[in-house]
Amino acid sequence: MKIVAVTACPTGIAHTYMAAARLEKIAKNFGHEIKVETQGAMGIENKLTEADIRQAQIAIFAVDIEVEGRDRFNGVKVIQVPLQEALKNPEGIFSKIQR
Amino acid sequence: MTPMSNGSLQFVFSCPLSSGMHARPASHLAEVANQFAAETTITNLRNGLTANAKSVLGVISADIRHGDRCALHVSGPDEHAAHAALRRFMDEALPRCDVPLAGVPDSDRRATPPRVLQAANVNCIFGTPVSHGIGQGKVVILRRMTLTQGSKTENAANPQHELDRIQEAVSAVRHRIGEKLKYSITPTGTAILQAGLAMAGDVSLVQKLNEQVLSGKSAAQAVVETGEFFIDLLGHSENEYIRQRSADIEEICLQLLEEVDGTRPETSAVALREPSVLVAETLAPQQLLNLDRRWLKALVLEHSGATSHTAILARSLGIPTLAGVRNARLALTPGHEVVVDANRGFVIPQMSPAVRNFYEREQKTLARRRESWDGRAHQSATTSDGKTIEVAANAASGEESSLAFANGADGIGLFRTEMIFLSRDEAPSEEEQFAIYSEAARLADEKPVIIRTFDVGGDKKIPYLNLPAEENPFLGYRGARVYAEHRDLLQSQLRAILRASAAGNLKIMAPMISSLEEFVQFKAEVALAKHHLLGMGIEFQSEVRVGMMIEVPSVAYILEELCVEVDFFSIGTNDLSQYFFAADRGNPKISSLFTVRHPSFLRFLEQMMDEIHQAGKWVGMCGEMAADHRNLPLLLGLGLDEISVPSAEVHEFKRAIAGLRTSDCIDLLDRALTCSTAAEIDELLAAEPFQTHTRSLLSDELVLLESTSQSKEEVIQEMMDALYISSRTDDRHLVEEALWAREAMSSTSLGYGFAIPHCKTDAVSSNSICVLRLQQPINWDSGTGEPVNMVVLLALRDSDVANTHMQVFSSLARKLINDDFRHHLLKFDTPRQVTNYLADQLGISLEDTSETHLSAEHPVQPRRS
Repeated sequence: MKIVAVTACPTGIAHTYMAAARLEKIAKNFGHEIKVETQGAMGIENKLTEADIRQAQIAIFAVDIEVEGRDRFNGVKVIQVPLQEALKNPEGIFSKIQR
Repeated sequence: MTPMSNGSLQFVFSCPLSSGMHARPASHLAEVANQFAAETTITNLRNGLTANAKSVLGVISADIRHGDRCALHVSGPDEHAAHAALRRFMDEALPRCDVPLAGVPDSDRRATPPRVLQAANVNCIFGTPVSHGIGQGKVVILRRMTLTQGSKTENAANPQHELDRIQEAVSAVRHRIGEKLKYSITPTGTAILQAGLAMAGDVSLVQKLNEQVLSGKSAAQAVVETGEFFIDLLGHSENEYIRQRSADIEEICLQLLEEVDGTRPETSAVALREPSVLVAETLAPQQLLNLDRRWLKALVLEHSGATSHTAILARSLGIPTLAGVRNARLALTPGHEVVVDANRGFVIPQMSPAVRNFYEREQKTLARRRESWDGRAHQSATTSDGKTIEVAANAASGEESSLAFANGADGIGLFRTEMIFLSRDEAPSEEEQFAIYSEAARLADEKPVIIRTFDVGGDKKIPYLNLPAEENPFLGYRGARVYAEHRDLLQSQLRAILRASAAGNLKIMAPMISSLEEFVQFKAEVALAKHHLLGMGIEFQSEVRVGMMIEVPSVAYILEELCVEVDFFSIGTNDLSQYFFAADRGNPKISSLFTVRHPSFLRFLEQMMDEIHQAGKWVGMCGEMAADHRNLPLLLGLGLDEISVPSAEVHEFKRAIAGLRTSDCIDLLDRALTCSTAAEIDELLAAEPFQTHTRSLLSDELVLLESTSQSKEEVIQEMMDALYISSRTDDRHLVEEALWAREAMSSTSLGYGFAIPHCKTDAVSSNSICVLRLQQPINWDSGTGEPVNMVVLLALRDSDVANTHMQVFSSLARKLINDDFRHHLLKFDTPRQVTNYLADQLGISLEDTSETHLSAEHPVQPRRS
């Protein structure tokens, strides 16, 4: 499955990046292809292109704040979870997707 | 000058002092007025209040505030001379009478106790710190004294007898203050005693006392009623400063009462016998001086007022003091042990194990910060490209010298001696001076101390020299120009300095030299003093260096000749610039003409520096130009050998110098020299993006591997202390609150026993990673109960988000979810292993650097701005 994701937390120093790393790792375990955009203190990195989003079957927002450029995801199925969820139980997110 | 119908003279002036006409300027005014027989009456045209200008109390009571227009009437036999002298005083001396009263900044911030204390439910009573520090002791409450207690209040049978008693009491009190004045070592203490002396002999006070006695009162009763009258008068002023003076008059009256009555109600009862915290509504400086300072650990005052003399005195004596502590005398129990935290701004009225632990740790933290900082402060100041400049301090007493050396001064660049000559009735003896200069030499411990021989005249008057009043004192009889007439005084001072030079590295400097002849004469005087000492077989340093101040522009054109005679120079920018621009720096109307950051002045300095250095001579700078941080790059560009700055700021200058590059400074100066106006130079300085010293993200001091903390609050406090000790923050409170604000949004625990608290705040001076490993796991979040035994704290400067440190943080964050990485961090035995591993993994240097690594590949923007 092709997945896109966005991670963002209020200070954007730590958890944004930890969650991104976590999602990337677990997605691989589940055999998914994932690209994670981080919206942190360094601005938007690894930005999702229009093509990335168009080709994705699902978008995961692991965020504690509003996603920037949310309208880019119009027409894509979005699962939004608290950022902690991506850190503590990323497996749960992917199980949910598969169901 | 306006002739009045009755033959008197008058003029109108407006009060230039921002604190109004308070005790010190009023006492200067009275001093001038009292030199004349003429009656001098001052009328505040704003409120119509009239006073005798010879009376300090009278002038204070007229409530003259900043900008008030006042009329001064002079009438009597010598009215013309009095008029001229007073007018000159108002124009010239008055604007400079007011020494700025430095307050402790940032009292606005609402104090909250540290989280550790909050978690232990410690009660705090808040106040405004007016003298920093922490003191612990038993509460001693000073009840407000009432003059009526214990004093005889009956009427007197013999008015003449009572009048005599009053007169004796006044002289006795003045004598007593005069005696104390002789042994006063701090300029602040001296100023306060002088104000007390003036008040005790004030004509209004004496007049009122006499009136009371003549109306049939006993001497004691007269003192009581006179005291009450003035306390009431001053106490009702709208001016906070004047209200505070009522404590001074109360103290003087108590001393008078003690003389006439033999008793001193209550004040004598305040004898401290153990570590004590004195709690009072208000405290007069005299009362503070009378307390046993061995036992006085802190002061708590109900009255607010950071500018009072008591606060200044407490600061100079290093007594932690809180002011504006409401109802302190009710809230604090006599005999109870309390902690006064005058760093954070509260008193803890009840000791508990949590409070004791907290402050035991705090004392260690403060000591360790001091130690780690001392190490750097005592190194010489070197720019990032390796040029060293001496950072010396200005001082006028041994006490000030110790402060300077404690702050890492490389020497005393200007030891002013006129303070020793001022405010007394006769010249100080050679022995007295010898003691003072020897102490300075001893404290300096072989570092250089430049002693400037007495520099009087101008605005510095000495009664026993009988210097004439002058039309234009700054262009008159002052500095080295008076030495020919007062050779004995100069000789005794030179002998005292020479004798003290045996004990250390003293140098002699002459003030106000404008010609070669003057300096040659000065050297001859030094030679004569040496000759005397040799003849008496008294030891001194025969090679003692003799230099001069550069204060008069004329010397710029005889430097070649002077360099043959002079061992060293020190540029005194205050006088030099006012002579250079022909502009009195105290005159606000022409202050725009007066700026040392002016192309003309800089070119002038540069030419002199060149010539002096070509001759191989040493040149330093004292005065305000050196003391202003903004000028530092220009001064480094000029290539000065030394700057002499206020003693309390030495370490700040050293730190600033370390962050500058000489080549940049020279380049900046070159561009400044081509500017045409002062405004262009200011623009240039504002636009210059000076490199600042950047410290590594990692440091062994920030790795705490054996923590015994038992709560999240303690862990964060411990990490705050580590940042504070290593001077990465000066305000733990702000960093702590930023961390807790982040914690309040969502947990920073990430499972596996790890937590990663973090914050962005400019309260940290450099981006930092702090690592703490707990001996026993703690609950990080009350909700989840998840145990944590490893804490990695990230503190990032808010204004630095666009630099690569952020990438280090994000890569650290990514690595922390990697099992291997975490296992490594858990197993290390020493801080060095941890920092090495992190440095390797994150690709960062452990070296502090002056370069700022801006990443070209990642032109990043803060996400929200």
